[in-house]
Amino acid sequence: MREVRSMKTTVIGAFPKISDEPGGQELRRAFHRLDRGEIDAGALDAVVEQVTRSAIAELEAAGIDVINDGQIRWDDAFSPFARSWEGVSRGPLERFYDNNTYFRQPVIEGPIRTGGRTLVHDYEVARATASRPVKAAVCGPLTFATLTAEDRAYGSLEERTLAVADVLADEIRGLGAAGATLVDVEEPALVALPQHVELAREAYLRLASAGVDLALQTYFFPADRILEFLASFPVAQVGIDVRSRDTTALRRLDAFRDKTLVLGVVDARNTRLESKAEVAALIEQALKLVPAERLWVAPTTGLEYLPHDVASKKLAVLVEASRAAVGVPA
Amino acid sequence: MTDAPILLTTTVGSFGKPEYLQKARNQFAKGKISASELHELERKATTEWIRIQEEIGLDILVDGEMYRGDMVAYFADLLDGYKEGGLVRSYGNRYYHKPIIAGKISRPNPMTVDWFRYAQSLTDRPVKGMLTGPYTMLDWSFNEAYPTRRDAALALAEVIRQEAEDLEAAGAKYIQIDEPAIHARPEEIDIAIEAMGIVTQNLKAKTVSHICYGDFAAIYPRVLALPVDQLDLAMANYEYRWLDLFDKDPFTRELAIGIVDVHKHELESVDEAAEGIRKGLRYVSAERLYPHPDCGLKTRTVEETVAKCRVVVEAAKKVRAELRAKVPA
Repeated sequence: MREVRSMKTTVIGAFPKISDEPGGQELRRAFHRLDRGEIDAGALDAVVEQVTRSAIAELEAAGIDVINDGQIRWDDAFSPFARSWEGVSRGPLERFYDNNTYFRQPVIEGPIRTGGRTLVHDYEVARATASRPVKAAVCGPLTFATLTAEDRAYGSLEERTLAVADVLADEIRGLGAAGATLVDVEEPALVALPQHVELAREAYLRLASAGVDLALQTYFFPADRILEFLASFPVAQVGIDVRSRDTTALRRLDAFRDKTLVLGVVDARNTRLESKAEVAALIEQALKLVPAERLWVAPTTGLEYLPHDVASKKLAVLVEASRAAVGVPA
Repeated sequence: MTDAPILLTTTVGSFGKPEYLQKARNQFAKGKISASELHELERKATTEWIRIQEEIGLDILVDGEMYRGDMVAYFADLLDGYKEGGLVRSYGNRYYHKPIIAGKISRPNPMTVDWFRYAQSLTDRPVKGMLTGPYTMLDWSFNEAYPTRRDAALALAEVIRQEAEDLEAAGAKYIQIDEPAIHARPEEIDIAIEAMGIVTQNLKAKTVSHICYGDFAAIYPRVLALPVDQLDLAMANYEYRWLDLFDKDPFTRELAIGIVDVHKHELESVDEAAEGIRKGLRYVSAERLYPHPDCGLKTRTVEETVAKCRVVVEAAKKVRAELRAKVPA
């Protein structure tokens, strides 16, 4: 068989932590038991790692080429950082964009500092478990800065965004030292608030100073207003949702001359299951403007917005459609 | 004119479930007690809440929603076209079954009318009919069946209209149609307004809509076009900052004003809550201002709920007395 699978499949963001299947709620139960004082943090940790291994096994079995660790430990986009960074605490709950999902707003109490090893342990566990390439992920500096509830350290959004970028650069450096060669930067704020695109680019120059390839992942909103501008970001990959909302992006992908595009082609926020043909058609349209070696395909955002069983089916459609689009028999 | 009712007190809708009912719901879920046994306990708890509300001195009552778990799933379970979805996480370690719109929505039977009748039969004070609005029903469901979000919202509006009209026919003087998700996508506010128009078009009852958790500023003043008589807003939790918006664009509806925060255990003082009412009076007259707790109280214990409601009633009494002292008899 001719090897034509230069196009890759990947995932972004969090994977469902529990499932409706019998035995699928170990993590939920472990948190309850921790609350009641029946187990200690070490026992919880063991469950987190067990669930992480299951998520990795499931992603690999589904045929995803470049995986992540499923972010099983993450409560929300900011929790690992808000828990470990000096100068930051976790504030009141608020809705996360247009989801019926809530996050703790970061509160900045003083200058932010990190040792740069917040995610290193989880990354090492994932790499030791996985047989395929594993990428890491951090939150986007603009997303963190715009969703901060209170800031007692920095005078403006600009200052705050760049300060967060400096700290994230330390985290990325730490991940690079642990062997990560690609780090997703999850940045819905950039497409929610495209007026800040110049500021964001400045922040990404700081992230890039860490010397690890970055994937700028936008989601929830169309990237139409800033699509060409994204081509000038100092990142190796740009992720765009071309599936869940009306967008002109698919006709404008030739704006990217050297970057890899990570196209969201199955909707990670709706249970309606796409057909293989429907997804393959999107991919084929993209392949007219982007060579297969610079095209990756993915769900539109983290699969945790879906029940576990539907998330699994979405992965299957993604993989089947990508094979169909490049002419590999399923 | 001093006899005209002013500063009528009310609540947003849900109350904490007493322990025996929580236990019974668990037992029912495990198949250990029957539906009719559970139903009896739900009626008992409803009766207790009506008595408690009367005793506290609330003016406009609710049934307390002893028979509901989630404000969207309750209706989704009873509507045709919906199917139950799997578990998704809402935050932290909390998960819910997010319902799926899988086919054409229709209402085989009334969903809340018997409960309204029962609660109203227990008291001479008005009991509100309580519904979840079409936009929130849409936004908190997966939509597999309708081509657009607007199509789904309008289909939901039609069944909620039927329910609202049945509540009115059963004697409801107030009908509340909650839209806590209305600002999820500010660019879709016109869909929420159009859908609400379908629900309230034929109603003569006073209509109310509760809005909370989110960026109210993003939909103000456009939200004043929502076709209801009264907007019911969380204010204490937001330190009354939404009132500042009314300086630029005057508030034109009746205002149900949240004066105690329901998401914290600490109890506000009567003075603090009364100050919230006085803030509201700068923008809305006392006849059109309805003090209440910020949001539903289902996450609070029975004791906390009673204490928070008492503060609301005492604060209203205090400000009423101040106002009456100013008006010559």
